[in-house]
Amino acid sequence: MKPVFHMAVLAGLMSASSALAQSAWTGGDDLPTNPLPCDGSPAAPAALPYDGATPANAPDRAGQPITVVDVPKLVGIGYFNATSKGIAEAAAELGNMTVTTDGPTEANIDDQITILDNYITQGVDGILFAANDPVAIAPVLRKALEAGINVVGYDANAEPDARQWFVNQAEFNGVAKSLIDSLVAETGPEGKFAIVTSTFTTPNQARWIAEMSAYAAQCYPQLEWLETVEAQEDNILSFNQANTLLTKYGEDMNGIIGMTSVATPAAADAVTQSGNCGKVAVVGLATPNAMKPYLASGCVKSAVLWNPVDLGYAAAQVLRAAADGTLTPGDTSVQAGRLGELQVINGSEILLGSPFVFTQENAGEFDF
Amino acid sequence: MTAIPHRSSQGRIGRALVGHGQVLVVLGAIIALFIGVSFVNARFLSPANLTTIFSGNAYIAVAAIGMTMVIITGHIDVSVGALIGVLATVAGTLAVAGWPMWLVWLAPLVIGVAVNAAAGWLVAYAHIPSIVLTLGLLSILKGGLIVVTGGEWITDLPPGFFLAQRDVFGLPLPLVVMTVLTLAAAWWMAHFRFGRTIYAVGSNLEAARAIGISVERTTVGVFALHGLFAGISAVLFATQLTTIQSTVPPNLELVIITACVIGGVSILGGVGTVIGAALATIFFATITSAMIFTNVSAYWLRAVIGGLILITVLADVARRRGQA
Repeated sequence: MKPVFHMAVLAGLMSASSALAQSAWTGGDDLPTNPLPCDGSPAAPAALPYDGATPANAPDRAGQPITVVDVPKLVGIGYFNATSKGIAEAAAELGNMTVTTDGPTEANIDDQITILDNYITQGVDGILFAANDPVAIAPVLRKALEAGINVVGYDANAEPDARQWFVNQAEFNGVAKSLIDSLVAETGPEGKFAIVTSTFTTPNQARWIAEMSAYAAQCYPQLEWLETVEAQEDNILSFNQANTLLTKYGEDMNGIIGMTSVATPAAADAVTQSGNCGKVAVVGLATPNAMKPYLASGCVKSAVLWNPVDLGYAAAQVLRAAADGTLTPGDTSVQAGRLGELQVINGSEILLGSPFVFTQENAGEFDF
Repeated sequence: MTAIPHRSSQGRIGRALVGHGQVLVVLGAIIALFIGVSFVNARFLSPANLTTIFSGNAYIAVAAIGMTMVIITGHIDVSVGALIGVLATVAGTLAVAGWPMWLVWLAPLVIGVAVNAAAGWLVAYAHIPSIVLTLGLLSILKGGLIVVTGGEWITDLPPGFFLAQRDVFGLPLPLVVMTVLTLAAAWWMAHFRFGRTIYAVGSNLEAARAIGISVERTTVGVFALHGLFAGISAVLFATQLTTIQSTVPPNLELVIITACVIGGVSILGGVGTVIGAALATIFFATITSAMIFTNVSAYWLRAVIGGLILITVLADVARRRGQA
């Protein structure tokens, strides 16, 4: 048992030293946090200069029919089906935009680059993308910009100078606030909870966890974080990890936060199958379809996500505005059809709005 | 000529003993982990946690039975994870369509056998290397799954579907299935003609041919059996949770192959047992759970498993060199 003991000591030392450096929960990153006010008032927007790129020698596309390719992280999952649906809705509404969705069957950056390269060679007017890797995707996007193609990202960003605009589905601090608020609504401000995430180094999840930690420290200082466990994006592993947490803590844990759309329903299954509904709250990021059985049974009260149909819709509207020249560097907002006016944040990002909380009442209105 | 099978069978017994050495090491490590961690937190030994460790990973151990046979014959299958995903979706789709439940559970087994028998036939008779063939099959299955399901999850499964959530003799069904199948397969491989043929083909192809074994038929048979176990694994996988995802757990095939290798199955063929592969599956699950109970960072987990794979493969190569 010596190795395990040594490892435990080592891990103890490591967590102790990281606690000295910063108070973030395991699985969060070390970047600065910006927690939202506890009362729900919006954060004061900081004016930053435009840091996106501009396509070289782009032809005048104002009002002209344009051909656009949408390259999500991967195709065939409910989430990106929903963004494609939103993009198609915007294209139909605009009438002067033809969109094809084409992406890798697995979230693989190499395949994504190949697909983008092919479309640049074929010649398109616009590219919508959700990057599998912000750095690795940058060269091929810069190539598109040099070819005069309008480039707009959504869901997962690239380096700012490799695209014009990025539609941000929700700021990390906004999602963090929604998750913690949903948890506290069930456990009370003195709840004790654990987190099931994909991996500690997955960028989005790490950012959300860091922001949750900062928001909880500011607004619910009595809330007790127990630990974070990794479960990849594996449903049975997520289920097993949640079960392990339930056994380890027993009565000393009354909440689980799932950080992925795979982990959250799996945690709900663990709570359901172990007979802990009503004793242990499950909140988290999840799609409404995946949560419908648990929302219907009442075991889960709420799931947090943005509306991916709106996200795709906004991305297509932003691309059209960029091609038309109605959205230019320095603008502070953009008109996005039925979504109204969206704010420009962080220099070259467009914020979709507050996250969406799915409940038993409204989940039926969505199909993704 | 008669000396060849004799020598080969002696070598086989020798290697099998070395293989058992590894099984004992894995078993010892599991027992040591259970004892050690139970001192840190006695709940580690609670029925709920034992269920998570043994039952929650049974589908991997069941798939590892077939994979063990495939690797022992000197082949590999990197498509089994995708096949399990496809078969789970088939079961879920039939259940939603209102098929009788016994057919819903039987269909993945039949389709698994059919798909892998075809794959085995191409490997044996068309002489396509199994790694190439199964890589192709992996793409077909993963792509096909996405095209057919359109990425939709199956969320409206009927209540009678959830086989893996049931108990038999007061024990979780996946645990019972895993134990019975592993022991039956181990016994069969050790004492029945076809079972022993698997080792003969894997340890010395020419010698196996010389004593009149049909290498081709053995290969097709092993792949078909592997398909059967993949089908059973898929039923356990599909019926554990309330929903069936249209995607396959990432790297499931690698998890299964790794379990075989750590359990003493030689990646070069000819050596290994299904009991070793099942124990290695449980070993991983025990480590994963132990890390949570002892508050050891998960950063260590991948390093530990990676190190174990390296040591096992190096030991295997060293053993071969020693025999040569």
